[in-house]
Amino acid sequence: MLFSILGAVAILVLWEVLSLYVNRAIMASPAETAVALARLAWGSTLWVQLLITLKRLVIGLAVGAGVGLIMGVLAGLDERARSFFEPVRWVGMTIPAVILVGLSMLWFGLGDFTVIFMVALIVIPTVYINTLSGIQGVDGRLVEMGRVYRFSRRLLLTEIYAPGMAMPVMAGLTLATGLGVRAVVLAEVLGAMSGIGHAFTRAMSLLEAPEMFAWVVVLLALMAVIEFGVLRPLKRRVTRWRKVPQ
Amino acid sequence: MIRLEHVTKRFDSLEVFRDLSLHVADNQIVGVVGPSGSGKTTLLKLVAGMVQADEGTIAVDPGAIGYVFQEPRLLPWRTSLDNVAATLRARGWEKTEARERAAAWIERVGLKGFEDYHPAELSGGMAQRVSIARAFAVDPRVLLLDEPFSNVDLALKDSLMEILQRIIREGQTTVMYVTHDLTEALRLADRIVEITPERRLRELDLSDRRAVAAEWLSASLGKL
Ligand SMILES: Nc1ncnc2c1ncn2[C@@H]1O[C@H](COP(=O)(O)OP(=O)(O)OP(=O)(O)O)[C@@H](O)[C@H]1O
Ligand SMILES: [Mg+2]
Repeated sequence: MLFSILGAVAILVLWEVLSLYVNRAIMASPAETAVALARLAWGSTLWVQLLITLKRLVIGLAVGAGVGLIMGVLAGLDERARSFFEPVRWVGMTIPAVILVGLSMLWFGLGDFTVIFMVALIVIPTVYINTLSGIQGVDGRLVEMGRVYRFSRRLLLTEIYAPGMAMPVMAGLTLATGLGVRAVVLAEVLGAMSGIGHAFTRAMSLLEAPEMFAWVVVLLALMAVIEFGVLRPLKRRVTRWRKVPQ
Repeated sequence: MIRLEHVTKRFDSLEVFRDLSLHVADNQIVGVVGPSGSGKTTLLKLVAGMVQADEGTIAVDPGAIGYVFQEPRLLPWRTSLDNVAATLRARGWEKTEARERAAAWIERVGLKGFEDYHPAELSGGMAQRVSIARAFAVDPRVLLLDEPFSNVDLALKDSLMEILQRIIREGQTTVMYVTHDLTEALRLADRIVEITPERRLRELDLSDRRAVAAEWLSASLGKL
């Protein structure tokens, strides 16, 4: 904890020092950024843009994680599904994000759908791979036990598979959220007329350095809220039984 | 009733059984002894349907199978009580009744007070007893025990064997009981089959149990 605080302070100090030596038009100091941030928050701009981005992120993540999870479970249970998904996964992981944005802009125009589509596509392979490795890591001896005692499919899923794969799936969702935030911003920078990414581009083209940095801070804050407010508590919940020594 | 006829089982190139036949009548208790790696666990798995025979047929009474695995095989994320209850729910018990019955069995195996412990918080012998409670609680028609008492002390072993004998008397249970300890098998079993190092089944003559035990004990004593 102490060293995490020191690390954060180090970033602030470095930022301050840099801002002293770099041209004002392209680099704002922490203080200027704070002022710009307060101004954005005082009006409605910050909240409107934040909500737009959050909505896209959440829908894109939900769709992408849902598809990735289902694909991962199918692939984990059936060799044929795994082979079938392998090329899909490979293509999904290999195509650069920028190209995906470009294509979806061409196909769907600027706006919500393009951004959501992007986020979902970017997230699917990561969730898929982690789900697959999670289901493959489930202790086969426990599954055998469940079969001998005639566990129904549902019981096998809720008592053995789901808790057995909770850790890697949570890791996948955490990675996916980080990817999703990057994807949503990239897509908004290139393919939308609203949202945090677009607001950042606008500030940049106007050489409004404090506002640019303010939007970056907003993004970091958004990520922090998701990580500490949602992902960590969720992870603690699904792995509560692990608190006991192994 | 358990009936294996001309069963052959291979793991890749390793032939564990060839043309093995064994009939266990209703409510009979058969002890299975044999050296490590001779195929005792494989025999139980064949009966439970966990592995498939390459040749031959295996018929087992329909109804619940209780299986005490060689290791406890508990759900690490469930308490000892819920480990037993989950299996009862699989057999169609309602949640509350399942928990009540599970609690009663946890108590019978001497674990009262440890209902809310997770497997990682239990000793090896305690986890083994949860596994025993789980197997007994389902009212098994066929009970398969793979060295169930290997991890518990003598006093506890006695009391668990008494419970076992009682449920066998009360219920309609056919038992296959794997052990390294011939005297243990002699106490419980109606019949004892030995898997020889050549992987043949040899039925022991139990007309004089004391003699069998004496012979086995003196063989071990001779090594002292
Ligand atoms: N799943 C498996 N795949 C390949 N070989 C196996 C498998 N299970 C068992 N075997 C082999 O079958 C033989 C019998 O194993 P088994 O576990 O039945 O022995 P056991 O009599 O129960 O031994 P122990 O007393 O040590 O538990 C061993 O040689 C083992 O290597
Ligand atoms: Mg064995």
